[in-house]
Amino acid sequence: MIARRSIVGLGTIMVLVGCWYVLTSATGLVSPGRFPSPQDAWESAWQVTVTGYANGRLHEHILHSLKLIALGFLVAAGTGVPLGLLMGWSRRADAIISPIFLLIRPIPPLAWIPLAILWLGLGDAAKIMVIWFAAFVPSVINSYTGVRTIECYVVEAASMLGTPRWRFVLEVLVPAASPMIFTGLRLSLQASWTTLVAAELVGALYGLGRILNVAQQDIYPGMILVGMICVAILGWATTRLLAHAESLALPWLRTAEA
Amino acid sequence: MDAIRFDGVHKAFRRAGIDFVALEKVDLAIAPQEFVAIVGPSGCGKTTCLRMAAGFEFPTSGEVTVDGRIVTAPGPDRAVVFQQFALFPWKTVFENIELGLRNKGVPKAERGDRVAEAIALMNLQGYETAFPHQLSGGMQQRVAIARAYVLDPDVLLMDEPFGALDAQTRVVMQEELVRLARRNPRTVLFITHSVEEAVYLADRVAVMTRRPGRIKEVINVKPVRVAEHWDDHARIEDVMDLESFVHLRTRIWKSLRDEKGSQDR
Repeated sequence: MIARRSIVGLGTIMVLVGCWYVLTSATGLVSPGRFPSPQDAWESAWQVTVTGYANGRLHEHILHSLKLIALGFLVAAGTGVPLGLLMGWSRRADAIISPIFLLIRPIPPLAWIPLAILWLGLGDAAKIMVIWFAAFVPSVINSYTGVRTIECYVVEAASMLGTPRWRFVLEVLVPAASPMIFTGLRLSLQASWTTLVAAELVGALYGLGRILNVAQQDIYPGMILVGMICVAILGWATTRLLAHAESLALPWLRTAEA
Repeated sequence: MDAIRFDGVHKAFRRAGIDFVALEKVDLAIAPQEFVAIVGPSGCGKTTCLRMAAGFEFPTSGEVTVDGRIVTAPGPDRAVVFQQFALFPWKTVFENIELGLRNKGVPKAERGDRVAEAIALMNLQGYETAFPHQLSGGMQQRVAIARAYVLDPDVLLMDEPFGALDAQTRVVMQEELVRLARRNPRTVLFITHSVEEAVYLADRVAVMTRRPGRIKEVINVKPVRVAEHWDDHARIEDVMDLESFVHLRTRIWKSLRDEKGSQDR
């Protein structure tokens, strides 16, 4: 069944590429200045991979972007998840922290870019900060919800068994909230990518956003497309990686679905 | 000394701005190793009684004592079996049963032995590494009972433990609990709305009034059970056919029915 779906999906993509070829190279209905032909895109990919473009070769740009994603995402998850768990568990922490949260939350993450650049310059630190702010919110909210939706009798069972505080946190609270925590992490990862590309568009020496920015200034549609495809592939790959981590971390959910 | 005592227990709630009295002067004393079932109309506060003995809730006035000490918090000396099983879905059967022993600081080797014993007691061999989701409701409740029994608690609190099971499974579990309780007597407080279940399992059956709940009367089943040799019958339906069983059941049912009738007015 799954194999059949994949074949159909592959067919869809091949039809799209075929249309792309017909509209650009074959008939010239879409001018090469607006959208590249498959050939242009291939040549751009070759160029950025082998000779380099916008200060570096493709793998350098990719590694740089991945580094920022990893750092921003990990900092956001590392602060957001514990904070969400704390707010979910303690009414007092919730009462103290949620007003700050309500105040900051409506600000779109990208609106932090100017302030981040002012504070930290055009380097990596500013981008990590913006990714952090963007990825932080979904981690907090979903961890919070994860704790709030724990069935009360599970908590009562743990206390009836005399579970000490830290064991309760590690072996009851966190696992019970973990499906929601992972939902939050998935959303955080998506937010990280969105924000990274935007932040690199504003100012960067390396990175996929840098490729997009320079290619736009050079009026180079082939390279723009290559940059976009790279972002799509990497976004998909990191999401798959997270899904894999989730299935390793939550074996009890895997067996429930099987 | 009584294992569990309710002395003039009064419990008032305030919900959505409306005060109501859940329990009004509940008095009940349960002797060590005695099996007492509470039956009553729904909403009469029987589960509240159990939750107060467990330490999940506290009386507005009056006292709940276990082994002479006023209950202040939940603890492994009073193991609870919940209607919803309340297992930890992320822990295997073994880990679920083991947690209470780890909390008590029992050494690993001894834990293994005791968990194995509890697993054998509840016929769960072969399911040690299964997760709760992979088990039927009846099997899950066996795990929950094993988790309670393994602690060797002074008191076992069972809150409609078979209420969520299908009829056939319920009968099997009732028969097993009778065997377990007769062979391995504990102080048990058992909440149910089934009169048959209460008469079949318990030494004494306490009937509660509708809300505000009080203990209306306490029927002593054990002398009849012993005199009429109920425990010689392995099957619940054979016991239920006995004249002495029918007589007690009808008596309790009538007492309860008066309460239900006035509630459904």
